Amino acid sequence: MLKGHLDMIVLAALSAGPAHGYAVIEEIKRRSGGAFDLPEGTVYPVLHRLEQAGLLAGRWVTAASGRRRRVYAITRRGRRELGERRAVWEQFSEAIGSLFKGSRPWQNPA
Amino acid sequence: MAEPSVISEYVDRLARALDFDPSLARRLRREVEDHLREAVAANPAGDRLEAERRAVASFGDPRAIAAQFAVVSLAKRARRVGIAAILVIAVVFLAMKARLAWYVVMECATGQMGALGDIVVSIDRFAFWLAVLVGIAGWVYIDSLRTPAVFTPEYRAQLGRFVLLCLAATGALIASVVSDGVLTSLRLSGPRWSVDVVIPIISMAIEVVSAVGLVVSVRGMTRQTASTARAAFRWHS
Repeated sequence: MLKGHLDMIVLAALSAGPAHGYAVIEEIKRRSGGAFDLPEGTVYPVLHRLEQAGLLAGRWVTAASGRRRRVYAITRRGRRELGERRAVWEQFSEAIGSLFKGSRPWQNPA
Repeated sequence: MAEPSVISEYVDRLARALDFDPSLARRLRREVEDHLREAVAANPAGDRLEAERRAVASFGDPRAIAAQFAVVSLAKRARRVGIAAILVIAVVFLAMKARLAWYVVMECATGQMGALGDIVVSIDRFAFWLAVLVGIAGWVYIDSLRTPAVFTPEYRAQLGRFVLLCLAATGALIASVVSDGVLTSLRLSGPRWSVDVVIPIISMAIEVVSAVGLVVSVRGMTRQTASTARAAFRWHS
């Protein structure tokens, strides 16, 4: 189930500000309280795919360690996409919540 | 002697698994190496090799990661083919217009093209505008597709439709270039050989090379689609 929502999760993690791949994964772990502990390598194809789609913009920077690293930032189009996905998700979540709340035995099973 | 590095071995394996896209392999090698060294620095418990092994284990199987990147790489290539088709059609159009302008400037004797010439001109026009319309349709179609996380049968079918559009545009363009070749031969059949014929011949060569380039480009994408499908099937079965 998580795989189908990886794009939204990554966009949400980057909505706070630009970050490199490792920081994105740490942010996902932190914000989900450790619930989303993904194989780290699965996040990179998502970052590249979102960059290709114009939802993220990547650039190379030099880290304090002297290593070159790629930093990703959410674009305006990415924020719009995240907003749309969030609205769909909230609607879905509300509908499922209502279904659970309404669980009671059938009055007339026949 | 240099110390063995689990990270270096891992990024080597990942780069080999990404051999279908050398520029992606180079970029990802650097990106993943930075990630793994950052992970080791953040969690340095135990000795260095042990910390590197933990970082690599958390990253996942390089073949699984490469299988996901194969789809990203294929989508990028398909978009490039869509753009290439439009550019090639534009180049053919410019070459054609340059040749016609040259005939006017040089006041070339056009020769007797007759009824055959009229038929070929009609075929040329129809084929060229067909290539333009289908090429634009293909470019718009591929640009509208969302790249999936994994190679699905649905995505394969969508790429198949794009390839069909590309083949139709390429076929029409080839018909147009062949018609141009026939028309150029008819025009130049009368006059003697001189520098006047150099521009028409060069412009025809540009048209032919562009059309061949498009064929090679579509063929390359078709092959990459097949190899990605095979890799996805191997990995998921």
